[in-house]
Amino acid sequence: MTLPPFLRAAAKPLRLMGQDRMAMIGLAVLSLVILMALFAPLLATHDPHSVNEIEEGSVLERGEARWTLRPSLGELALNDAASDAARDLIVGRDGTIWHRPEGGDWTQPERLTEVDLHGVDISPEGRGLIVGAESTILLQNGGDWAAIDAPDPGAELRGVAWYDAQTAFMTGAGEQIWRLDAETGEITQIESPVGRGFPLNSVARDHDGTLLAVGERGLVVRIDPQDDSTELVRLPSSRDFNHIYIAESGAALVVGERGTVLRRDDPDADWESGQAPDTRAMRAGWIGDDGTAIAVGRSGIVLEWNGGDWQVAPTESERHFRAILVRGDEMLALGSDNFVDRLARPSADHWFGTDHIGRDLYSQNVYGSQIALMVGFIAAGLVVLIGTNVGLIAGYFRGRTESVLMRTVDVLYGIPTEPFALILVLLFGPSLLIIILAIALLTWRTVARLIRSQVLSLRERPFVKAARVAGASHLRIMYLHIFPNVLPLVFLELAIITGAAIIAEATLSFLGLGAPQSISWGGILHDARLSGAWRTAWWWNLPPGAFIMLTVMSVFFISRSLEVIANPRLRARE
Amino acid sequence: MSRRNYLIRRVIQAIFSLWVIATILFFLFRLGLPDPTAALITEGLNAEQRAAVRAQFGLEDPLWRQYLLYLWNAVQGDFGLSFANRAPVASVVWERLANTMVLMIPAIVLAYVIGVPLGAWLSWKRGTGTDTGGIALGLMFRSAPPFWTGMIVILVLGVWLSAFPTSGMRTLPYDADGFLDKIFTLDFLHHLILPALVVALFYLGSPLLIMRNTMLEVYGEDFIEMARAKGLPERRILYNHAARNALLPVVTQLAVTIGLAAGGQVAVEGVFSWPGLGREIFRAVGTSDFPLAQASFLVLAAFIITLNLLVDILYTALDPRVTFQ
Repeated sequence: MTLPPFLRAAAKPLRLMGQDRMAMIGLAVLSLVILMALFAPLLATHDPHSVNEIEEGSVLERGEARWTLRPSLGELALNDAASDAARDLIVGRDGTIWHRPEGGDWTQPERLTEVDLHGVDISPEGRGLIVGAESTILLQNGGDWAAIDAPDPGAELRGVAWYDAQTAFMTGAGEQIWRLDAETGEITQIESPVGRGFPLNSVARDHDGTLLAVGERGLVVRIDPQDDSTELVRLPSSRDFNHIYIAESGAALVVGERGTVLRRDDPDADWESGQAPDTRAMRAGWIGDDGTAIAVGRSGIVLEWNGGDWQVAPTESERHFRAILVRGDEMLALGSDNFVDRLARPSADHWFGTDHIGRDLYSQNVYGSQIALMVGFIAAGLVVLIGTNVGLIAGYFRGRTESVLMRTVDVLYGIPTEPFALILVLLFGPSLLIIILAIALLTWRTVARLIRSQVLSLRERPFVKAARVAGASHLRIMYLHIFPNVLPLVFLELAIITGAAIIAEATLSFLGLGAPQSISWGGILHDARLSGAWRTAWWWNLPPGAFIMLTVMSVFFISRSLEVIANPRLRARE
Repeated sequence: MSRRNYLIRRVIQAIFSLWVIATILFFLFRLGLPDPTAALITEGLNAEQRAAVRAQFGLEDPLWRQYLLYLWNAVQGDFGLSFANRAPVASVVWERLANTMVLMIPAIVLAYVIGVPLGAWLSWKRGTGTDTGGIALGLMFRSAPPFWTGMIVILVLGVWLSAFPTSGMRTLPYDADGFLDKIFTLDFLHHLILPALVVALFYLGSPLLIMRNTMLEVYGEDFIEMARAKGLPERRILYNHAARNALLPVVTQLAVTIGLAAGGQVAVEGVFSWPGLGREIFRAVGTSDFPLAQASFLVLAAFIITLNLLVDILYTALDPRVTFQ
């Protein structure tokens, strides 16, 4: 089988390229990028548009200047904490229990249950008591935890507080108030004064020997352990209360939804509603014997009492905090249920980290290859198509045709490339078509000039004259005789312009003029710059540029070898 | 054709190009922005006031009169008032162009001062690993988008090491009597280093590769064989004989680069908050400040066309082989 001369001429550069190592490297890299673009949905680990949330056993410690993140305790949210002189206990979702002896490290005892644990308290004699969903009650006997049977198996227990070494009280989401006798394991259900099923979220032992339980809609119940009587207490707020903490001295703090913080400075003082500087949900509070107080809540809000009013403390994280643990000078805020995993460093889950709204950057980079290659190839194809034909026609026909065409090219040379593209995109709105036109409408001028100068010399060569004498038509001479001879140059320009077009597209996208709703490498860099986080989040702005560079470099490597083919004088002579 | 006739024809051609570009620009803006004063609504102008502005810019006239007025004003260098800051557009444009050039020229000169000898040296080492490595490096610099290189350089040298300022031409606030007073300071130099470095790296590839390739072509010429036959040392042939003859395409490329750079690198100016012309065009078009956008573009085009003209004239002087056809 014999190939037509046209195809044989086209195949020649490809064969020569095979001998150039640089070109082969470029071809390999470019193939990988093309494969990446084609199989982007398979390669991406996440939906590039979706906001990623994670849950974590976050620990935030109060430092000199701000609250900073400590290594997290597992991947499950922490709900409550308790401590005495000997140890600290933390409970969390899915049966999470963390234990830390004084001066030791956090360890996790064998998992006893899979249900969510909501409350923990330690008795004056050092016995731990944990409550959770599905009426889970775990009581410590010596070192071992034992489950206690509840009268109502479906209750979601939220708060727990020891009254004395033997008696503890628990509250639940269905307005349950239960009394536990730790010796016998017997549970007594106490009637709430309201009885409408409002959740009671937290309970604490007051200085006068009674207990205070707080719940939704401002519900506060005082429980007298002497006769199990209950009494409704009015606090100056009717928001949902999430947590109550009462210090030894009798100072107390109640926190709740929408920035609710209520404090009682001493046992006999009135409850005062503080002006919270933030209206997000506060989930836990702590007040010291000297009146220092902190409250923590959603979105990384930590409030500190400075003696006169509440202030938002600077924190490093936006996690949702649910508990506070204080031991000596150490103050920890614990969390966190699902929070937006924003600006996360590269990890096993997010290989290139996440951006400012928690989107996976690796997946964005993978999808970014599609726009880059599409714009690059289409624009370059268009440029070469226009440029080659104009060059061929001008060079072949000469005369008036050539004058008109080449003067047009001269005019185009006077137009500044980048501002022209900017004006076009800004005036006609960013779309893929406009971006490709913005790149292609000027760039063909170079190709036209180059091809024309080659054609000028080719048209005087004997084989063209022979064809003309043989009666070949203009079209036939131009496209079957001359064109194959300028093919190496056409391929060379195609490669160079593909590279230039990829950079041009990236530049437009970087300036915020990319096609809307699309992901491109330049667009990722645009987001990084707009968010301001690029000055710290190196994982955000490093990969897209590296991908652009690699892709453009691969076509330039290929072009280098085409250059040698188009211009044999460049071949290295020994 | 005589040299004089050639020059006259070339100048006429340049003026013709400028006229065509001005015309394209005029209709492009009328097509894309049918009512340029729409942007003024945000400034709180009511319909009557907007009509007054429209009259002031001649926007109520028929299109052909607008076009003639626009051309007439452009010839006189009067581009009207900027919508945004009510300053005469011409003064804004000239200042921004100067700001851009004061960044671009040192950067491009740096790129050529390093790139040209390096390219000549690589051609001498042709076919070796050094040659391949040098080419790969040159291509790498040309492949990295300069706004990205800028971001990385700012991150490393500006933020992590705090060695250089990362935005603007001077530390704010400053006062300067005029442009020269502004740039002849150490503070300005300090601000110039990072952006100039980034632009220079991007432009380094072209002179390097062009010089290398042209040198390889020149090596095939007879006069090099002659020099070898005379027994001249290889180094002397390289720099005295070959390099001089290979400079011509590099000079052309230099002029083209400067012309393109005048309005180019909008993104680099953006990254470094450099108050240049590219950034001004971007801002102007983004805020529909069409007198400013038009004028900037026109001035840029004039600048580029003049440079291209100068190159052609220079070419005839440098290379007697160029014929005036």
